[in-house]
Amino acid sequence: MGDNPLFATYLIGLREGLEATLVVSILIAFLVKSDRRNRLPWVALGVTVAVALSIGFGALLTYTRTTLLADYRDRELFEAITSVAAVCFVTWMIFWMRRAARSIAGELREGLDRAIAVGPLAVALFALLAVVREGLETALLFFAAVQGAESDTGPLLAILGGILTSIVIGVLLYASAVRINLTKFFTWTGVLLVLVAAGILKYGVHDFQEADVLPGLNNLAYDITGTLDPSSWYAALLAGMFNITPAPTVLEVVAWLAYAVPVLVLFLIPGRRRPSPPRPTTDSPAPAASQAA
Amino acid sequence: MRTPRVLALAAAGVLAGGALAACSDDAGSGGDAAAGGPIPVNATDSACEVATTDVDAGTVTFKVTNKGVKVTEFYVYAQGDRVMGEVENIAPGLSRELHVELPAGTYETACKPGMVGKGIRGALKVKGSAAPLTADAALAAATESYQRYVKSQTAALLEKTQEFVTAVKAGDAAKAKELFPVARTYWERIEPVAEIFGDLDPKIDGREEVIEEGMEFTGFHRIEKDLWQTGDISKSGPMADRLMTDINEIVAKANAEKLSPLQLANGAKELLDEVATGKITGEEDRYSHTDLWDFNANVEGSKAAIASLRPVLEERAPDLVKQLDAEFANVDTALSKHRAGDGWKLHNQLTQDELKELSDSINALAEPISKVAAVVAK
Repeated sequence: MGDNPLFATYLIGLREGLEATLVVSILIAFLVKSDRRNRLPWVALGVTVAVALSIGFGALLTYTRTTLLADYRDRELFEAITSVAAVCFVTWMIFWMRRAARSIAGELREGLDRAIAVGPLAVALFALLAVVREGLETALLFFAAVQGAESDTGPLLAILGGILTSIVIGVLLYASAVRINLTKFFTWTGVLLVLVAAGILKYGVHDFQEADVLPGLNNLAYDITGTLDPSSWYAALLAGMFNITPAPTVLEVVAWLAYAVPVLVLFLIPGRRRPSPPRPTTDSPAPAASQAA
Repeated sequence: MRTPRVLALAAAGVLAGGALAACSDDAGSGGDAAAGGPIPVNATDSACEVATTDVDAGTVTFKVTNKGVKVTEFYVYAQGDRVMGEVENIAPGLSRELHVELPAGTYETACKPGMVGKGIRGALKVKGSAAPLTADAALAAATESYQRYVKSQTAALLEKTQEFVTAVKAGDAAKAKELFPVARTYWERIEPVAEIFGDLDPKIDGREEVIEEGMEFTGFHRIEKDLWQTGDISKSGPMADRLMTDINEIVAKANAEKLSPLQLANGAKELLDEVATGKITGEEDRYSHTDLWDFNANVEGSKAAIASLRPVLEERAPDLVKQLDAEFANVDTALSKHRAGDGWKLHNQLTQDELKELSDSINALAEPISKVAAVVAK
């Protein structure tokens, strides 16, 4: 398992890439489904700015003696803050989904426009946050691979391969999401987003702990590294999509539950004239994951 | 349509990165970080070779090269596994750098091949640097570190007390009983700080005897009595509100207070006295018998104060530090026998012999702790 060094490297790229592409592809699918294609350039803008920022910063840190963000704690803090901001946006989007699902259920297609007033800047900022969160760490890794590429180009190609695969998964998710019928789409992507957002929040909490802002980094809720090997491909997928990790801290688990449970309940409370949709189990994201794959 | 654009972007980014890399081959070398540039670390799947294990205090740079086939991580831990610095995602065949600020002391380095477990540990000694920290700076750093601890505890105290108060006002006795020892944990950890503020402490944490001093019986223990003894919290709402007001006031004061290193040392000792007089005897939580929660929190608070002073103590009295570590471990061992689920056994479930064992371990710890103040005052 995971004993091929290139495969292990590839998985890092995949995991880091998925953290961003999953949210972006759902965002794109959502905009397309709700007839807001005119917002798509803004998504591209947000992603571009995030990629440029990450690569620019990565290069600065790698090739110059800058002290800005050079301390790993500052970087953790940066990731933590952007993650929490991303959670706010994703939560907002989850409730767009809910409203959208409502207005469609009520056969009010034209009401959709009014239900989802989403400004172009919000879209751009959202896409930016989703990507910049993991972008810096990925860029640093990428430059480490670039520096090592003189002797061996393997790791560089493996990381790029991983990032490309994550983009392909994003495209596939988009393609399958766009094809399902509207009501189902809003319900399922909403549920998927709740799990993703809970994961991002948990990740943010972990980073706050690593940055020494929150206590309890060594206080693990459980440790199943024996059963869920962090270097396996499925662990990389779980971590990249839902931030499900084999040895989370107590605070991470608390944050995850404190977010996922109430938001799922709120999201799934049936509208006044709708039968409630089937409730997916909150504790195992397996059904949602199989939806995504 | 759109996604290819994202792809193109990524590709453009990669190209830009490649170009940057190509034209800046040897920038960034010639490090003027710690003496003589980065310390090479060879990480494999079964070894973690750090080129030098004696470094000077200041910013230390490690260059970790993964020569194994598993992804690895590299950590620098202070004692008690406090992370000083880390770099994750070191793919096989790559090198990554870690810059970390290390004051004098003993640390551990660790590689974690496969990202699991405790890692392959190695000792790291950091000696007083060419430009040594002044004693004052070390002490200032200690109080700053403890101040951060107080901040984190007071934040949790506000949150948990609010939950407790809400439960009391909602008449949810079961939930209030559950939250009572939890909220108090954060209070008990930083009690010496609270005691600086004269009459606020008895308002929040006074026992029934405060009446004899002409004060009103309010605070945690008043509500505790309503919950456990009279069993009627229908009229406890105003009391709960007062508790919240007092807690808010003390938290604001505690966070604004500038503590002195001596207060840390004395506080660590006071917490143990608290244990001996209030918790071992069971007089503090006489209605709920949740004394062991408070006991544990006092010990944790004492430990935190000592941890903040640690760099100073290491420097001035290394033997005392060893003794403190051993005695703290001893108290933990004695106390951990009485865990029950997430919490602790009730005070009235312990036998006299068990209480005596706890009391002995606390006394054994109190002895070295009482020397800390003198070392700090040197």
